Amino acid sequence: MFRLRTHSTDPVTFSFEGRRLTASRGDTIAAALLGSGVFIFRNSPVSSSPRAPFCMIGNCYECFVRVEAMGVVQACLTEITEGMKISKVSNLIDESETGIKESSKR
Amino acid sequence: MTKKCFDVAVIGGGLLGSSLAYGFSQAGLSAALIDEGDNAIRTARGNFGLVWVQGKGEGMREYARWSRKSADGWSNFSDQLSEVTGQDLGYHQSGGFNISLDEAELEEYLRVLESLKADAGEEGYEYELVQGRTLAKYLPGIGEGVAGATYCPHDGHVNPLYLLRALQEGFSKLGGCYMPLSSIDQIQPLQSSGFELLVEGRQVASCERLVIAAGHGSVGLGQQVGISIPIYPEQGQIIVTERSTDQLAYPTNMIRQTDEGTFMLGASARDVGFNSETTTDTLQDIVRRCASAFPNLRNLRIQRNWAALRIMTPDGFPVYSQSEEFPGVFAFSCHSGVTLAAVHVEDVCRWVVDGRIPIDYRCFGPERFDVSTANAFD
Amino acid sequence: MITQRPMCDVAVIGAGPAGLTAASELAESGRDVVVLDEQGAPGGQIYKGVEKVVADRPQDIGLLGKEYVAGKALTRRFRQSGAQYHPGVSVWQITSDQEPELALGLLQNGSAQMLHPKHVILATGAMERPTPFKGWTLPGVMTVGAAQTLLKSSRLLPEDDVVLVGTGPLLYLYAAQLASFGIRPQAILDTRPSMSWRAARLGLSALTACPKTMLAGMKWLWNARVRVNMVRGVHSLKAQGEDHLSSVSYETRGRRHELSTSLLLTHDGVIPNTWLSMSAGIRHHFDSAQSCWVPDIHGAGSTSRDCISIIGDGARIGGAAVAALQGERVAYEVEAYLRTQHRAMVTTESRALRRQRQLRRFLDCAFPPTADFQLPADETIVCRCEEVSAGEIRQVAARGCMGPNQGKAFTRCGMGPCMGRKCALTVSQVMADARGVSVGEIGHYRIRSPIRPITVGQLADMALVSGED
Repeated sequence: MFRLRTHSTDPVTFSFEGRRLTASRGDTIAAALLGSGVFIFRNSPVSSSPRAPFCMIGNCYECFVRVEAMGVVQACLTEITEGMKISKVSNLIDESETGIKESSKR
Repeated sequence: MTKKCFDVAVIGGGLLGSSLAYGFSQAGLSAALIDEGDNAIRTARGNFGLVWVQGKGEGMREYARWSRKSADGWSNFSDQLSEVTGQDLGYHQSGGFNISLDEAELEEYLRVLESLKADAGEEGYEYELVQGRTLAKYLPGIGEGVAGATYCPHDGHVNPLYLLRALQEGFSKLGGCYMPLSSIDQIQPLQSSGFELLVEGRQVASCERLVIAAGHGSVGLGQQVGISIPIYPEQGQIIVTERSTDQLAYPTNMIRQTDEGTFMLGASARDVGFNSETTTDTLQDIVRRCASAFPNLRNLRIQRNWAALRIMTPDGFPVYSQSEEFPGVFAFSCHSGVTLAAVHVEDVCRWVVDGRIPIDYRCFGPERFDVSTANAFD
Repeated sequence: MITQRPMCDVAVIGAGPAGLTAASELAESGRDVVVLDEQGAPGGQIYKGVEKVVADRPQDIGLLGKEYVAGKALTRRFRQSGAQYHPGVSVWQITSDQEPELALGLLQNGSAQMLHPKHVILATGAMERPTPFKGWTLPGVMTVGAAQTLLKSSRLLPEDDVVLVGTGPLLYLYAAQLASFGIRPQAILDTRPSMSWRAARLGLSALTACPKTMLAGMKWLWNARVRVNMVRGVHSLKAQGEDHLSSVSYETRGRRHELSTSLLLTHDGVIPNTWLSMSAGIRHHFDSAQSCWVPDIHGAGSTSRDCISIIGDGARIGGAAVAALQGERVAYEVEAYLRTQHRAMVTTESRALRRQRQLRRFLDCAFPPTADFQLPADETIVCRCEEVSAGEIRQVAARGCMGPNQGKAFTRCGMGPCMGRKCALTVSQVMADARGVSVGEIGHYRIRSPIRPITVGQLADMALVSGED
């Protein structure tokens, strides 16, 4: 997709799905991931089809990722910061977040 | 050029009108369903989707019974409609909870239920108060401060948009004639029998029997055939969140989860005239109440919210009326088009076919608001 | 916690050429101006990251082109104007005219608050026209604008197998920028029709009116045609791949071809981003020359709500030069409004503005939207969020569904997180076509706030400070 970023004058370290990666300070999360060769950001909640950034200006909402302590964010509008732990969004909200779980239906 | 004369025409493509139209075509009548355009005041879109019995009908026993009858018939009705259209309506009769956030709310609500129980007499009125840990078992994630909730096994929920689509599709499949983009402004009685329906002087359809179910538009149309319809718009605002994989197994009075996984948050009542804009303070009231009930909902993003104008009558109960001046003309209004869909398709359609509202149901007539009649009983 | 009611004279939403110019003008004349920007730095999409490029990567400025350098002076003037700049703020609501007063709902650093300006200038710019085709949701398919954003803000360059598809000035500009960075795309699949006589005639007058821009544009096209494998008359596009794009296939002159690639960039021109203006209840209409919805504008930026002006590409696609000119003009109108509480209209147009209009007439005619993308085939997904196909829209339309709002209720099309931004135009066009009426007649989704994501908790916690306090 994009040429991998080989060096950076002002690097930031972060992780995606447990993988340690680096980006340049000031990058958006989307740029940081695409520059590190990450292709799939999430799976759609309708059919689980894989998705990745499409418009990069905050309009298509395809680039949702989960950031520890922040929740689900738009990767194209959020700046990467040192130590950020990012993961794929398979479902927009996971159980630990709402705490509403399936209860026995009668 | 004379157009085909329908056995019956329904003005209004909302839940009520579409239910009736579907019922007529099911009964083998030639029927027309006349609807407005894409930007009509659509009360149907403001529906929360509850098929609800509990708490309804204080002050009018017949309405409590009517809601219960419909809820009991819903399962059959839903199955039939799905069979005709091949569509799943997302209907679940799981029973439902009415959540009371604080003690005062709970006390008042229990009083209402007790009074309904007393009214019901031998027919019985089932409900169960659930609190504390037991409540948390049924509704995991419920806020610790919630005073309690009452459970009623007859309650359920459905996707109101899919219901509307299925009714209209079912109607068309059974041979009905759907006519959108026609805002009828004139009803012209014909000399022989029947009526002509016109838009700006142009004839759109003619019919033997006529049902006015045009929501707020019914008022003006009713006047033309001597029916006064005492309704006013009441704004309801609804918030829908993003999809979530978590599940809330039961619908409640303020929150329900759709089959797609979104949560609907709602129930606000404001008397604002014909304004369908959402307002910040009302939306905030809704989210604050819902977040007290389920604190973890706070993390969900709001997907959309909208305001719709519900039909409200002075006592909150439906109005079913027939024209004395023009036999064969009916005007129906109600705000519970989802709950009552099952009886509208069955019973109310039969009234129209028979040409009159049975005596047992005259209590739903507009005469009950008539000041002079009321005075006579004072 | 906010205890005082946040107020200002003018709130400008968006910090591209239109917003920056208007804000600078008004702030320089002593008005209390607040600029709200979703981005992290001023410049909008066109001058994205310009301050950072100037500071950190000066060698890139020349490579990005003259048009980009213009942003330098604009941001510098803005920084010195005295306007308050708030980056990273999304505006999720403008109160309707049914509410007692004008207010904006803002979201910044995860918390929501209301701002009470006396006047609002919307300078929300453009977004790319939707380009639905089979497979366009696959990772590896993105817009040319997106790739250009990555280039400007992060110097991210595509691999050599990149394929560009569609038409429009931005596509050829991006190809030229890639060339200056030493990248030659594998192919440009051009969907533009051959130039009509009318376009040629308009081109001549555009050349007289704006020679520099026209010559620059011709250079981009020349680059695309000479240095890159440009295929004309492309249609019936398909993106293929399992979890990720692996190839693209297309038809031209009756034959189907296939290219292996990991990145397909699409573009079909730009349209105004009207989500805020529509949610604010401002009147809009369908502009058939530009094939998109635009707000009704009088004078420089007056709308159907006196307290809200709209300028720049969000008012109608005009480009950066027009946006800046409108920013200047609207300042007079807003100034007059603040003094009298009535809207005033600047009706005179400068020569520069008239010249730009000649250029635009040519561009609109020479690069019309691609027919295939406007009325996609049945199996093509139209609504990326809820995965609703063009066929489903046609089906409900055939059964009598009279417009996009009922269609949305019946199919969930447009109900997802993007709130219809990526499907609204397509749905209106498909429905209009199916019902045999004009797009203007069929209408548009009703857009309601919140138009940017806000959580239940954020809305619940927001302080509402009423005017009486």
